[in-house]
Amino acid sequence: MNTLLTLGDNLKTFWDYTGMANATFGHIIMILVGLFFIYLAISKEYEPLLLIPIGFGILIGNIPFNEAAGLQVGIYEEGSVFNILYQGVVQGWYPPLIFMGIGAMTDFSSLIANPKLFLIGAACQFGIFGAYIAALMWGFAPNEAGSIGIIGGADGPTAIFLTSKLAPQLLGAVAISAYSYMALVPVIQPPFMKLLTTKKERVIKMKTPRVVSQTEKILFPIVGLLLTTFLVPSGLPLLGMLFFGNLLKESGVTRRLAETARGPLIDTITILLGLTVGASTQATTFLRPESIKIFVIGAFSFVVATCAGILFVKFFNLFLKKDNKINPLIGNSGVSAVPDSARISQIVGLEYDNTNYLLMHAMGPNVAGVIGSAVAAGIMLGFLY
Amino acid sequence: MNNLKQLLFLSALILLVSCAIKEENPRWVINEVMVDNQTGFMDNYGQRNGWIEIFNNTYKTQDLGGRYLTDDPNNPKKYPIPRGDVLTKIPPRQHALFWADNEPFNGTFHVNFKLDSSKDNYIALYENDGKTLLDEIVIPAGLPADKTYGYPADGVKYDQNGNTLATQLERITPSSNNAILEENPKVVSLQKNDPIGVTITITSMLVVFLGLILLYLIFKAIGNTAKNISQRRIASAGTLSAVRGESQLTGEVLAAISAAIHELNQDVHDVESTILTISEVRRKYSPWNSKFYALRQEPRK
Repeated sequence: MNTLLTLGDNLKTFWDYTGMANATFGHIIMILVGLFFIYLAISKEYEPLLLIPIGFGILIGNIPFNEAAGLQVGIYEEGSVFNILYQGVVQGWYPPLIFMGIGAMTDFSSLIANPKLFLIGAACQFGIFGAYIAALMWGFAPNEAGSIGIIGGADGPTAIFLTSKLAPQLLGAVAISAYSYMALVPVIQPPFMKLLTTKKERVIKMKTPRVVSQTEKILFPIVGLLLTTFLVPSGLPLLGMLFFGNLLKESGVTRRLAETARGPLIDTITILLGLTVGASTQATTFLRPESIKIFVIGAFSFVVATCAGILFVKFFNLFLKKDNKINPLIGNSGVSAVPDSARISQIVGLEYDNTNYLLMHAMGPNVAGVIGSAVAAGIMLGFLY
Repeated sequence: MNNLKQLLFLSALILLVSCAIKEENPRWVINEVMVDNQTGFMDNYGQRNGWIEIFNNTYKTQDLGGRYLTDDPNNPKKYPIPRGDVLTKIPPRQHALFWADNEPFNGTFHVNFKLDSSKDNYIALYENDGKTLLDEIVIPAGLPADKTYGYPADGVKYDQNGNTLATQLERITPSSNNAILEENPKVVSLQKNDPIGVTITITSMLVVFLGLILLYLIFKAIGNTAKNISQRRIASAGTLSAVRGESQLTGEVLAAISAAIHELNQDVHDVESTILTISEVRRKYSPWNSKFYALRQEPRK
C-alpha cells in the first residue's frame, strides 16, 4: 500500500514538473506565434535567417515549466544557459558585433558616388520620431517611447541596443516587432510607394553612378566615423563597429578579418541574437497589453518612414536638374532594412519599366539609413538615458 | 575644394576651442566632507568624528589603495591608503568614506589626522607617486556642526563656465549620492517640458540631417577631387579610357563602343589556322578520339 502511495506521490511530483501542468493560455498563443514565424520563414521565405532563430526561440522560451522549482532553465533565471546567452542582448554587445559584420559586407560605393542619397536616409528617420510621438500620446514614458520609436529605423540590432539601455522591460516586444516588420517590408512598403508616386515619376531613369576609387572607399569609414561620432558620441558602439567593419573590407589588406566579420562571426551572433530574443518572449512577461500597443506603433512607424522617404525625394526633385532627378521609388529604401527595402525599389520599379534597374541606386539611401538610424539611436540615448 | 578646406578649418577650430574651454571633472572627487560631527553618523567603534567622502567619478572600478590622503599641502603622503584591502576597490560611480579621527590603526578607512572647524581645512588626494594631485578641496572655517561641505551633484565640480560648485550641502549623505536620484532627471524634464515629443523630434531630426548633410558635403567634395585627379591621369595616359573621362556618354554606351572596336581589331581570323565558325566541319573518324567508347551503355529495358 505504501509503495502505491509513494508511487502516486512521485507521479504527482512528476506531473507538477511537466509542461502540461504548467501551461497557460499565453504559452499556447506564443507557441502558435513561434510556429507562424517558422512558417513565414520556410514557406514565404520572409527573412528566414532571422525568423527561423526567432521563431524557434519563441518555442524554446514558451515551453512551460515549474518556475517556482528554480530549475535554472528559463531565460530569465540567473545562471541558466539561456540567461548567459541572453546577456549579449541585455548588455547590448550582440548588436555592435552584428554592425561590424554589416560594415564588412556593405559596399557603400553607390552612396559615395551619389552622396545626395544620404539625405533620403536622414528623411526616413521621421519614422522613428513619428512613432516616438505616437507612443508618448499612447501613454508610454519618454524612455519607453524612445525604445518603441526606434522600431521605425527598421534596424533590429539598433532597436535591441537602444531598448536594452532605455527600457529593458520592453526588449522582447520591441525586438520581435522590429524583426517582424523588417520581414514584412515586401508587404508593407509597395502599397505606399504606389500610392504616393505618379506613373511618370515611377519610370524616371537615374544616371549610372560613377566608378568610385579605392581611396574614396577607404576614406569613407574613417571620415564617417569621425564625423558622426563627434556629433553623436552616444552612437559610438554601433557607428564605431559599422565603420570598423567597413574599413576591414575596403582596406584591401585585411581580407581574412573582413571575411570572418561578414561570415562566421555575424552568423554566430545572428543565431545567438535571434534565438535569445525569441526565447525572451516568455508568455508570462511578454503577453501584456503594452506588447500589442508596441506592435501597432511599430507598424505605424514603418509606414511613416516609408512615406517620409518617398515624399522627401519628390520634394528634393523640385530642386534638381531634369537629367539628375531621383526616382521616388527609391525613397522607401532610406529605412535601413538592408537590402530588402532596396530590393523592393527594384521590384516595384521593374513593374513599370522592365529596363529600369533601381537596385544600385536604392542601395545608397539603404545604407545611409543604417547610418541615420544609428545616429538617431545615439541621439535618443543622449536625450533619454 | 576651397569650401572643403574652409569647412575642415572651421570644424578643427570649433573642436579646439571647445576642448580648450572645457574644465574636466577629475577621476576621483572629494565629494562631501563633515568637519564637526556632533550628532550624526557613527563609525564601527561607536564614535563620532569628521569624515571625508571620496567619489569614483568614472564608469570603471578603481582602487584607492596606495594613494594618499592629506590635510597638509606640504606633506602630500600624510596618510597612505593601505594596499591590498578589497574594500578600497570602489565600483563605478560609488563612494568611499574615511573617518578623520586620527586613529589609523582602527582600519583602512581611518586617517591619521583630524579636521578642525575653527580654521580652513585643506584636504587632498594624491596619486600613488605622492606627487600627482588627483583632487583637492578647502573647507572654509566656521562650517556649522553636523553640516557638510561638497558638491550638490556627485562628482560635478564645475559649472559650464568653469566655476567651482563646492558649497555647504542641504542634506547629509555619507556613502550615498549627494543628489538623490529617484527618477531619471532627463525623462522627468521631458515629461514636463515636451509632453508630446515635438521638440525632441525637431531637435533630433535636425541633428540627423546635420550629420548626414555634413557627410554629403564632404563626400561631394572628395568625389569631385577624385574625379578631377582620375581625369587628369587618364588624359595624360592618352588611352581609349581618356575618351570616357572626357565624354558624357554612359557606361553602357562606352562598353558597347569598346566591344565593337575590340571585335574589329581582333577580326583577323582569315590568317589563322583555327577559326571559330558556324560552318560544318568534316573530320575523319578515329576510334581513338571517340567519346562513345568511353561512356557506359544505357541499359535497355
